[in-house]
Amino acid sequence: MELFDAVRANLLSPAVLFFALGVLAAVVKSDLRFPEQLYAGLTIYLLVAIGFKGGVAFADAGFAEVWLPAAAAIALGALIPLWSYPILRFWGRMSVVDSAAIAAHYGSVSAVTFIAATNYLTAVGQPFESYASAFLAVMESPAILVGVLLGKRAVPKSGLPALTGSSRQVLHEALFGRSVVLLVGALVVGGLSGAGGMAKVEAFFVTPFQGVLALFLLEMGLVAGRRLGELRKVGVFLLGFGVLMPLVHGFIGVVLGHWTGLSLGGATLLGVLAASASYIAAPAAIRLSLPEANPTLSLTAALAITFPFNLTLGIPYCLAVARWLYTP
Amino acid sequence: MIALKLVTIICEAHARKPLTELLRDVGARGWTAFAVEGNGDKGPRLADIPETANVQLQVIVRPEVAITLLERLEREYFPRYGMIAYASDVQVIRSGKF
Repeated sequence: MELFDAVRANLLSPAVLFFALGVLAAVVKSDLRFPEQLYAGLTIYLLVAIGFKGGVAFADAGFAEVWLPAAAAIALGALIPLWSYPILRFWGRMSVVDSAAIAAHYGSVSAVTFIAATNYLTAVGQPFESYASAFLAVMESPAILVGVLLGKRAVPKSGLPALTGSSRQVLHEALFGRSVVLLVGALVVGGLSGAGGMAKVEAFFVTPFQGVLALFLLEMGLVAGRRLGELRKVGVFLLGFGVLMPLVHGFIGVVLGHWTGLSLGGATLLGVLAASASYIAAPAAIRLSLPEANPTLSLTAALAITFPFNLTLGIPYCLAVARWLYTP
Repeated sequence: MIALKLVTIICEAHARKPLTELLRDVGARGWTAFAVEGNGDKGPRLADIPETANVQLQVIVRPEVAITLLERLEREYFPRYGMIAYASDVQVIRSGKF
């Protein structure tokens, strides 16, 4: 019952409805199209807004409160590929590199899913720790690193010469990629400027946030919808994987959040992060370091299966798990 | 006027950074890149988000550099990334720039 109500509240939110509109527009092959620059601009806005708010909350809470759940978030990101890999390899009968690549995508995180989850929690009146965006920042890279190591270790020498400076580029991307710079940078700016700074930018970064997110999800609906055709290529196993793993990872994330002292809302967010799969940072790093992997498999699973699943059902599922866990 | 080679590379966006490293490596002194979209033998390349777009790189080099560049592209980059590359003859002025 609880789950049903939580799902209904989510499905009827403007953000999710606009996402559905985007998917529909793509399916009927409408000529609706966002300029690429608008997509890039909306991404910057959302990351800065969520980072700034997180920084203000981080400064307020202090490092003593944040380090334990943050360490749990990093560990979870690094561990998810370790059990996803054998599942893909032995149950899914995928090749070594494809298993490693997909495992990396699922251990890494989706910022948009996280942002939609904070929006959902706000809408249902569930308080959460805003500094959770720091977890988003630290969970992006560990899984990619583990996935690359899994793939490299197991790949018999492919005979391909290494690209000039490719490992330096992967490292550079992990440390200074635009999402990391924006998110970590905005966290620091928010932390330094505190509540007084927040009062100055609130009218721009907080009040219009839900509208911007709705617009962005309309675009994400188009992006995901255009790739639905690829589902035919990935097979039934990956479909099931893309739906079941978020349920398992979401559960583990919520439990870890509970153990490390987060509130009900904060544990929900850690669950959502664990459940989400990366479709921006992970593909870029994997294309560079595991070129033998088939990008259609991992990108379709993360973007056309897991992202829509989490946006509609995964987020309320994590909240329902948290409510169940936190009920005395 | 001097005869040089214009090498055009059309590739997935993820290949852009590694390719610019290669261009530097073979001794190209400048290049131009722009976002493009189109159709290939694996179907349309959706250019809706920068990460899945196509990029066209154009570089003017001396004929011997063009050969090295195309050979290294074939050996190191074609197995990794979706891309095509071709060379054509061009006449340039200010030959010192290339």
